[in-house]
Amino acid sequence: MPASTPSWLEERRKAALDAFESEPVPTWRRSGFWTTTLRNLDLDALEPRRYEPVTSTDELPSVVREALDGEPGALIVQRGASTIHLEIDPALAEQGVVVMPLEQAVVEHEDLVREWYMHRLSETEGKFPAATAAFWTGGVFIHVPRNAQIEQPIQTVYVIDEGDTAQYAHTLAIVEENADCSIREYCLGSDIEGQALHAGGFELYARPGARVKLAHFHDWGRGEVYDISTKRVEIARDAFVSWVPVHLGGRLIKHTLDIVTAEQGADMRHTGLYFTERDEHLDLFTTDKKEAPNTAGDTVWKGALTGDSRASYEGLIHIVPNAQETHTYLQTHQMLLSQRAKGDAIPSLIVETDNVSASHGGTVGELDEDQIFYMMSRGISRIEAVQTLVEGYFEEVVQRLDDPGLEALVRRRIGEKLLAAEDQVKEFVGHRAGAAQEA
Amino acid sequence: MSLEIQNLHVRIEEREILKGLDLTVRKGETHALMGPNGSGKSTLANTIMGNPNYEVTEGKILFNGEDLTEADPDERARAGLFMAFQYPATIPGVSVANFLRMAVNARREDPIKVKEFGAMLGENMELLRIDRAFTSRYLNEGFSGGEKKRAEILQLAMLKPEIAVLDETDSGLDVDALRIVSEGVNALRGPEMGSLIITHYTRILEYVKPEFVHIMLDGRIVREGGRELADKLDEQGYDFVREEVAAANAG
Repeated sequence: MPASTPSWLEERRKAALDAFESEPVPTWRRSGFWTTTLRNLDLDALEPRRYEPVTSTDELPSVVREALDGEPGALIVQRGASTIHLEIDPALAEQGVVVMPLEQAVVEHEDLVREWYMHRLSETEGKFPAATAAFWTGGVFIHVPRNAQIEQPIQTVYVIDEGDTAQYAHTLAIVEENADCSIREYCLGSDIEGQALHAGGFELYARPGARVKLAHFHDWGRGEVYDISTKRVEIARDAFVSWVPVHLGGRLIKHTLDIVTAEQGADMRHTGLYFTERDEHLDLFTTDKKEAPNTAGDTVWKGALTGDSRASYEGLIHIVPNAQETHTYLQTHQMLLSQRAKGDAIPSLIVETDNVSASHGGTVGELDEDQIFYMMSRGISRIEAVQTLVEGYFEEVVQRLDDPGLEALVRRRIGEKLLAAEDQVKEFVGHRAGAAQEA
Repeated sequence: MSLEIQNLHVRIEEREILKGLDLTVRKGETHALMGPNGSGKSTLANTIMGNPNYEVTEGKILFNGEDLTEADPDERARAGLFMAFQYPATIPGVSVANFLRMAVNARREDPIKVKEFGAMLGENMELLRIDRAFTSRYLNEGFSGGEKKRAEILQLAMLKPEIAVLDETDSGLDVDALRIVSEGVNALRGPEMGSLIITHYTRILEYVKPEFVHIMLDGRIVREGGRELADKLDEQGYDFVREEVAAANAG
């Protein structure tokens, strides 16, 4: 830590360290049949790794260069424990946009950081949130001033490209009144040897009248990366956030993703996508929390599972007392593409007031043999039909990224994963066609 | 060049639906296959196309002399067979244009050039009086009954099969839609295509005139003839066929 760390932050880190040390390594159980355990993670073998800054984007790890697209408005890259790259378009800087390591912001923008830092996150909500709050280094701070209109996306990257790494990450973003911007956060891993941990905290505050397009792109690669993170978005009066988290890889992911419409007129769209393969384990819990009257929401999550993977999505709509006249709905769909994969898609609802409309629905399904037959009757091969159907299934959510560069990246990665899973998908679909014939 | 069905027996979920059916459709011919509900018409269409839910227990499906009884549906399609579905599946996320391009490319060595495809598509859409905006919609998603059937005939026009089976294409269509679809089918008829029009009613046959009419009852073809058979059916309904068959069986 730089010597100039303010005392309030030191106190919070100390409180977080205490919480971390007093908490056992958790095991998450739900309804008795779903368990997320870290017993295969050797925490003691991991360490924060430091890296030197790069002098140009050409020197960024290849996994980062391959994912990035177009000219960013700003780009900040954290490798392991170190910020290795920061650039900001002068046009953005002129408008007063700030993008810098959080470490630096606690000194240079102390009042702002102090006001918002962990406003919606807490060091007492578990061992890993505590670890993140105690140990984060580097970090990201984004501040978009009142009325700023930013078209080029602000891009932040956390990358792990070496084994035995522990990365504690914290992003704090504040988009002020009536500002309009787009933020993309990438969590990227190369196919590392050994294990790694990413423990992250993310908080975004969309102030009154702000409009924010937020995307999270998680792809930790084929390595043994564990990602235990909490991400929260708070939306103030008449503000709107469209949030699209995408999960495309990681040995074990445990994410808590919450979106809070905190004041009247707040509106949100929450769209998620995941694709699991091999022995990956994905455990997602999202909350659409309605804290004020006259707010709205629209949540759609879609996933597909191959290999021996496990994926659980639980989505809660929570409408607190007095949050009347709120309108929100949540849909979740999951598609199994392998006999050995296991999934869950559970929508739930807590409504503590009246005069609201809230609905939810969830499906877990397989590919529809009628659709496959239809496509094959046009000369399209079984495997191509399956790939097209899966890509088509995701298309609705991919388009909600509303960002051609990122859409292309997501489509490409899904295509690659389907190709990698070709044999098992073929076997699965073939098995089912055979079963249908026997029936 | 022909589709030959020999002594076809088909089962679905332990129940025998087709019980020894023979039928030959040659290129250039238009056949109507008529029958009451439950006689096995759609089973025949699905079996010709290779739907895996239908099990052939006896008999053969030959196409241009080649035995396709066990072939996968895509293989049959590439050989030159086509089926217009009574209830076409919805393909979310795949636009009509993209789907058509995939289907066209599935039967070519090299992918079709964008310009050539566009011209072909434009021509056929004009033929079927389909609006441009239609091709960017996801295939059959939110389509009306008439739009679904038009999309089926558009595929027929784009894929130019040797033999086309139209499974109850007329069902659920209002008069205008029926006329447009029929005009499309008529425009595609010719020496290069044979068709088998499967229908419950004689309505479509006022627009698409078949040379051969077959009547199906309980999994078999029981009467065959020309146009006049359809006219008789129109006047008397299926009862006369049932009675004649019952009388023949009793005798």
